[in-house]
Amino acid sequence: MSAPAASVTLSGPQLSQRELVRATAERRIGRRRVRSRLATAACAVTVCLSLAPLVSLIAYIIDRGARTLSLGFLVHTPKPIFVPGNGIGNAIVGTLIIVGLAMAMAVPVGLAASLFVMEGPRRLSGTIRFAADVLSGTPSIAIGVFAYAVIVLTIGYSGLAGSFALAVLMLPIMVRADEEAMAAVPAELWEAGLALGTRRGRIVRSVVLRSALPGIVTGNLLAMARAIGETAPLIFTIFGSQFYALRPTAPMSAMPLVIYTDATEPFKSAQATAWGTALVLLVLVVVVSVAARAVAAVMTRKAR
Amino acid sequence: MTTLSAPPAVSSLAVPGVGEALARQRTKRRGRLYALIRWAGAALFVAVFLALLVTLLQQAAPALGHMGLSILWRGWNPQKNELGAGVFIVGTLLTTALALLLAVPVGVGAAAMFAELAPRWIAGPLTAMVEFLAAIPSVVVGLWGLIVLTPLFARDVEPFLKTVPGLDAAFHGEPLGSSILLAGVVLAIMILPTVVALSRVAMTGVALADREAGMALAATRWQVVRKVVIPGAGRGIRAAVTLAMGRAMGEAIAVAFVIGNGSGLPHSLLSPGASLGSAIVSSFSEALPGSLLKSGVVALVLVLLAISVAVNVGGQILMRTRRPAVPPRGPADGSGTPPALPPDPGLVLVEMQP
Amino acid sequence: MPELPVPDQRRRWRLAKAVAVVAGAAVVLAACSSAAPSAAKKKVKHDSGGISSTTTTLAPGATTTTTSGSSHSSSGGSGSSGSGNKSSNSGGSGSSSGPCSSSAPGGVLGGSCDTSSPAMQLTGAGSNSIAPFFSSVFYSYNQSNHNVSVNYNPAGSGTGVADIKANSVDFGDSEVPIATPASGNGGAILQLPVDLGGVAISYNVSGAPNNLQITGAQLAEIYSSTTNLYWDTFFSNGSLPHELIKPVYRSDTSGPGYDLDQYLIDTSLSWASAVSNNPSTSWPSYGKGANSSGQQLNTGVATYISETEGAIGYVEYAYAQEAGFTDAALQNASDSYVSPSSSSIAAAGAEASNLSASNFNIVNGTGSAYPLANFSWTLVYQTQPNTNQGIVLGKLFDWVTTTGQGQAQKLGYSPLPSNAVSLAHSTLLELQTSSGQKIFSS
Repeated sequence: MSAPAASVTLSGPQLSQRELVRATAERRIGRRRVRSRLATAACAVTVCLSLAPLVSLIAYIIDRGARTLSLGFLVHTPKPIFVPGNGIGNAIVGTLIIVGLAMAMAVPVGLAASLFVMEGPRRLSGTIRFAADVLSGTPSIAIGVFAYAVIVLTIGYSGLAGSFALAVLMLPIMVRADEEAMAAVPAELWEAGLALGTRRGRIVRSVVLRSALPGIVTGNLLAMARAIGETAPLIFTIFGSQFYALRPTAPMSAMPLVIYTDATEPFKSAQATAWGTALVLLVLVVVVSVAARAVAAVMTRKAR
Repeated sequence: MTTLSAPPAVSSLAVPGVGEALARQRTKRRGRLYALIRWAGAALFVAVFLALLVTLLQQAAPALGHMGLSILWRGWNPQKNELGAGVFIVGTLLTTALALLLAVPVGVGAAAMFAELAPRWIAGPLTAMVEFLAAIPSVVVGLWGLIVLTPLFARDVEPFLKTVPGLDAAFHGEPLGSSILLAGVVLAIMILPTVVALSRVAMTGVALADREAGMALAATRWQVVRKVVIPGAGRGIRAAVTLAMGRAMGEAIAVAFVIGNGSGLPHSLLSPGASLGSAIVSSFSEALPGSLLKSGVVALVLVLLAISVAVNVGGQILMRTRRPAVPPRGPADGSGTPPALPPDPGLVLVEMQP
Repeated sequence: MPELPVPDQRRRWRLAKAVAVVAGAAVVLAACSSAAPSAAKKKVKHDSGGISSTTTTLAPGATTTTTSGSSHSSSGGSGSSGSGNKSSNSGGSGSSSGPCSSSAPGGVLGGSCDTSSPAMQLTGAGSNSIAPFFSSVFYSYNQSNHNVSVNYNPAGSGTGVADIKANSVDFGDSEVPIATPASGNGGAILQLPVDLGGVAISYNVSGAPNNLQITGAQLAEIYSSTTNLYWDTFFSNGSLPHELIKPVYRSDTSGPGYDLDQYLIDTSLSWASAVSNNPSTSWPSYGKGANSSGQQLNTGVATYISETEGAIGYVEYAYAQEAGFTDAALQNASDSYVSPSSSSIAAAGAEASNLSASNFNIVNGTGSAYPLANFSWTLVYQTQPNTNQGIVLGKLFDWVTTTGQGQAQKLGYSPLPSNAVSLAHSTLLELQTSSGQKIFSS
């Protein structure tokens, strides 16, 4: 902050002027620094506020569910109350199949639709964006009813109907999140691609998607996390099952359904099963999220 | 179906051959494939949306015919065949507003922390942790809210709020625990991950150059965040808030466990209420097929969609009148011209203010 | 900054994509192959003219049989893989030529006959309060009949009724029977009682005596009052604390709510006129008075009661028993105060005269009957296009309503009284094939 060695000597009034400016600047910078530290502290508080319910929830789930966890719990099929050997193996497999199929349906369509929103005629894009916002507000029970009317009444209760319902649920979130991620790509990258004479499709594939990938992955993971825990769409579509069921065109079981059915039974063992299932669900989401982020990081070859 | 707008006339270009190259691009099949993918995706999306609307309309038609427009202000009394949504609309708007009021500042602040202010080694895991909150099934959140939060609110939080001077209008009545207030808090917890995750993505998208420019002007870290990053991420933050609001309005099961299902209009934030989502989930499973009640419940879904449309439109109008839109950074207008750089308001606003 | 891919990197990327596509295709193929041991759901489409082909797969531990059902051939021997039936007392595994056979396809419907049945997997949907009981009895039945397995979906009575009417499940279950004459896409529907349960009025008041005596009129006032009520002043009982009475009701549609609504109609004039004598599964707004709140499902009400001082509410008796609640002794039609128990609920069921699907109300009984009780009703089609399925349904539910009732008590229900058992038996005797022939002779 000290002035470089000047060959000019300053006289009285100029010196005091300079002192005045320096003192003012120091005061103001000090004030801004304090304000910055306070604001940073406030943001830290908000972080704590957002983490507090999470910690409380997870602690509660662990507290009520950890006791039922065992290898047998993860591979056995459900048994009635008072019969040993209860498990959720079929529900775990069912969830994986249903969510996997739903992602296979929703991710490509979401990506394609968001590309349209980004590049298409303004009016139509605006309409689709609007439709996505409205669709994201639909209660999931309505989507379950819709899937019931479209799929269950044609091919019957099935895992596929559940996947369809979850895909419809995830679609608007994916469309919006993908579009936002791609819109955040700086214009310079577009210009560079255009300058090289590449086709727009090629630019999107090699440049825009590549750099927007972390954002796209985040948005899609958020949608998947939401869908994995949804119960209401599954109640009307997959029917549930007490056995291992691998065919998507037949009734299957899924973890949210087990949670919903068991948590509302009067028996302690059933409730413990429900909370154990919730814990397994959470672990599954953690594993998939971490894996997907790692893959995305590898694909973009940069650490975000 | 065009991938590029009409290329400029050949003669106007200084470099020969570019015009022909651009024209050739349009006829290449690969370029068409990209356009086909885009339109197919959009068409599928629209088809699903319309099919959903049609299905809901079909099932709700009897009740809508029975009630007409009065569904928006009448009460809900299935025994007397009165299937109005008035009370539920009020409940939905109150709980959503409360949830947004709580979640948006907290969420944007946390996102700013994760994107800008916190050291990298802590930001990554913590961001992921907040996003896991989105994966918890709403049944579990509802039960936790019922078992853990309801007694907490009934015994500590609500009596405390009643003692705060000046807020008596909002917080009067017997603290029962299950109330509009608790429903708003639970909704805020559920929409937090959406706000945090998508805001963070938007903030990290702000160009490094802008942030560095701010710092070069001796802005403090917070000033950079407030004047450069948040406005620069404004579009993404708005999208995050819109999605979060959608989730809050449509959330059913968790709200049903904590809102207390009151009958009349709630007279304070502490009184039990009902929202459209909670009413739908409460009445749906036992309603007999083909009955007026079942049709009425589906009509509630349509009312919710209508409110969602109204709120979204209102929000867009509000946003449009507040300040001129920052032009999008990608070539979103569909033309082939290189996009103009946005005017970068952030730099101008970094001032040496005390 | 992102870079354009260089050639060898692009090659690696393409290889990775190809591997992923092949792996994904392999997974999808494996999942769709019918070689995997999976439970297949049979759906009888209503437009297929009554002929259905069944692929049945069995509970783990048994073998697979494929049955092509034709409408009325007495092919009872198709259950050839019925292995290890503990209660089988004839050589015939599933064959109708056992000691209890007669000219009817399914023989005699009775507890003394062997319980071996043709191989079948059944699907059912309906009330979720009967789910623990159903899963328990179906499991036990499968232990002695390895070739019969049942998949039950506790999605709610409304869904159960919708499904059976649309003929997309083999049986439904509802807390309240549907209006007679009952019919759906597959013709006439039979309704039989399979279960008897009660509704407890539980309260959480420190210092309160067990089995506090409450009349219906008092309950009606508690729920509908618009002013503050206190435990000691309202009941004129000095041993009760001076605390607000906080009633809690079900915010979702429910069978217990229906029962209580009916009871209050019978015992309180003001309640009856407020709801126009019409009980409903939705709790009426007349009953949402001051200091009251609604909770979702039995779980919500039970949790609220257990953590709120001064709360009173209604839950299924199974819940109250498991949670160890303090229950009220309600006044019944004989003016005696009866507290809920397995025997008092059974008495309510036994009291019912001329019990049938159109006369099912056993609320507010006399004598030692607990006033809040109800049967759970199973719905099946009278005409069974697949005779084997008709045989299995009949034998299964006959077992459930007789031997299976032994499991009721430990799960919080009461065993069916004899009038309900004979009603179930006579209802099952009405099952017939698609040509109109009765499936069971007696």
